[in-house]
Amino acid sequence: MSYVLESIISGLLLGGIYALLSVGFGLTWGTMKVLNISHAVFAVLGAFFAYWLFVKAGIDPILSLPLLAAVMFFVGAIVYKLVILPVTKAKDIVMASMVATFGAATVVENLMSLFWRPDPRVLKPPYTSRSLFIGDITISKGPLIGFAISLCAIALLYWFLHRTYTGKGVQATWQNPIGAALVGINPERVSLVTFGLSIASAGAAGVAMAMIYAFYPSVHSVWTLFVFLVTIVGGVGSVIGSGLAGLLIGFIIGVSAAFLPFAWVNVLLFALLLIVLLFRPEGLFAG
Amino acid sequence: MTGHLEAAKTDYRRFRGKLIFVLVMALLVAFPLVRPPLFFLTLLFSVFMYAALTQSWNLLGGYTGYVSLGHIAFFATGAYTTAVCMSRYGLSPFATSILGGVFAGILAIVVGYPVLRLKGAYFTISSLLLAVVMQLVFLNWEFVGSSTGLWYKLMPLSIEANRTIFYETMLILAMVITLIVRYVEQSRFGAGLMAIREDEDVAKTMGINTPWLKMKAFVLGAFLAGVVGGIYGFYMSYVHPDMTFSMNTSLLILLMSFFGGCRTWGGPLLGAVVLSLANQLIVTFIGAEISRILYGLLLVVVIIFMPDGALQYAKGLTRRG
Repeated sequence: MSYVLESIISGLLLGGIYALLSVGFGLTWGTMKVLNISHAVFAVLGAFFAYWLFVKAGIDPILSLPLLAAVMFFVGAIVYKLVILPVTKAKDIVMASMVATFGAATVVENLMSLFWRPDPRVLKPPYTSRSLFIGDITISKGPLIGFAISLCAIALLYWFLHRTYTGKGVQATWQNPIGAALVGINPERVSLVTFGLSIASAGAAGVAMAMIYAFYPSVHSVWTLFVFLVTIVGGVGSVIGSGLAGLLIGFIIGVSAAFLPFAWVNVLLFALLLIVLLFRPEGLFAG
Repeated sequence: MTGHLEAAKTDYRRFRGKLIFVLVMALLVAFPLVRPPLFFLTLLFSVFMYAALTQSWNLLGGYTGYVSLGHIAFFATGAYTTAVCMSRYGLSPFATSILGGVFAGILAIVVGYPVLRLKGAYFTISSLLLAVVMQLVFLNWEFVGSSTGLWYKLMPLSIEANRTIFYETMLILAMVITLIVRYVEQSRFGAGLMAIREDEDVAKTMGINTPWLKMKAFVLGAFLAGVVGGIYGFYMSYVHPDMTFSMNTSLLILLMSFFGGCRTWGGPLLGAVVLSLANQLIVTFIGAEISRILYGLLLVVVIIFMPDGALQYAKGLTRRG
């Protein structure tokens, strides 16, 4: 019994991280109608940055997190200017953005293999190898710390969107782009900030993921499964919805991982995705 | 009188097109007779393979605009059918590649039924994830060799003979698929598909059974990709999930179609020939990673600057100039 409970707890912790991984994806989809397939590749990029700083300079990944988020925001801004902005002028934004970001994902993935070699790595600061014991339940600290990072980042994002001027501008553009532009909100600037934030949150999530999973440049396609599943279940572009969906999916992963081999858990998730798409494409937690 | 002249001109143009087609095909079929270096046979094999794959993708992706990023899943299904039938039961792949196509078609029905009912974006991502999830399953599935892959022998002939047989097979396959796609394009079926691309809701209102047409195009494309994969699996005499399910192949297919222009059967053919030649040369002489980076960049550029394909773009340039 404690085995199942352990599996569920670690699933829930994972789910929190998936929520952070997905929240930016939903944000760009909601505000800009841009479906960024390269979202998860930037999470892997964030993981590689943190790993690199940790191994080369000995900077703890938690300490380097603010710097990393800033760098990833900057990366996001560049990608926005080069790829996303031209794409949003296309006739069919959704389709054009998917295809273009699919290309961008390939570019980033192969740049990473070129610089860092495509071998699997794990981010292991010394404290992640310890475990927490509650009764006869063991919780390893890697997922716990990853979960804490995600919780903080999501709270920060929520605060930004609901309490700051720019954040409210993002929300306004999302609800009514023309109305927002009429009251003097610059849609291009809002999009830039949204996209930068989305990539920054992906980078932070990548660090949290890297403390649990082995990562390598092409792993982003697997992470995309989680991103899309969370976004679909939670409803596009809702921070709270993403959070709940992440936890729900984490719970499902936890339960199924206790009984199924790892590869079949992903099949189950994919089947779940198809079922949700078929019966409730607007998401379980939307409206 | 002018009517007769016009008709004669069209007849002549058609005849000329057929003549060129037959001549090019005859030259390509006869090419191994001059005993070219093996490199050329390998190079052209991959050109034909990409031409065949891109055409099979274009049935749904180009004509209806339902862009699939997981076409590789059907290709890999074919390759694995060959591999399993060959290494476990000793069956000849030239027969079982059809079976691979059938399996790919069944897979397309199972996945397409829910996904094709949804808007294009959901279809695109689900197709991407289909390939990802299948790769994960195959990496852990003992029966298909899991992460070590499956090895088996080529035909007990000289390497030249082997390569020549594969060259001719893939050439015929690419030709047949191109003819099928061309036939579809000019049929009522094709007109229905293009109506879906223009406006699916209007097409539905006009009484076009859009889910059925999309399903037909999806399954036919999957079947053809499965057959191509069956031959490819035999040609490599080795299958591994990382190789057969490679995202980069999906990207190449997409790029070739968009580059050539995905609205006619000629576009993907042009894209496949030009880009797979370039791809093989870059991979051979510079490096696989560089070539993928260049192809990713090219896809972004094509989507942003030439959404109707490079050919149309070039035409627009000359018209303006």
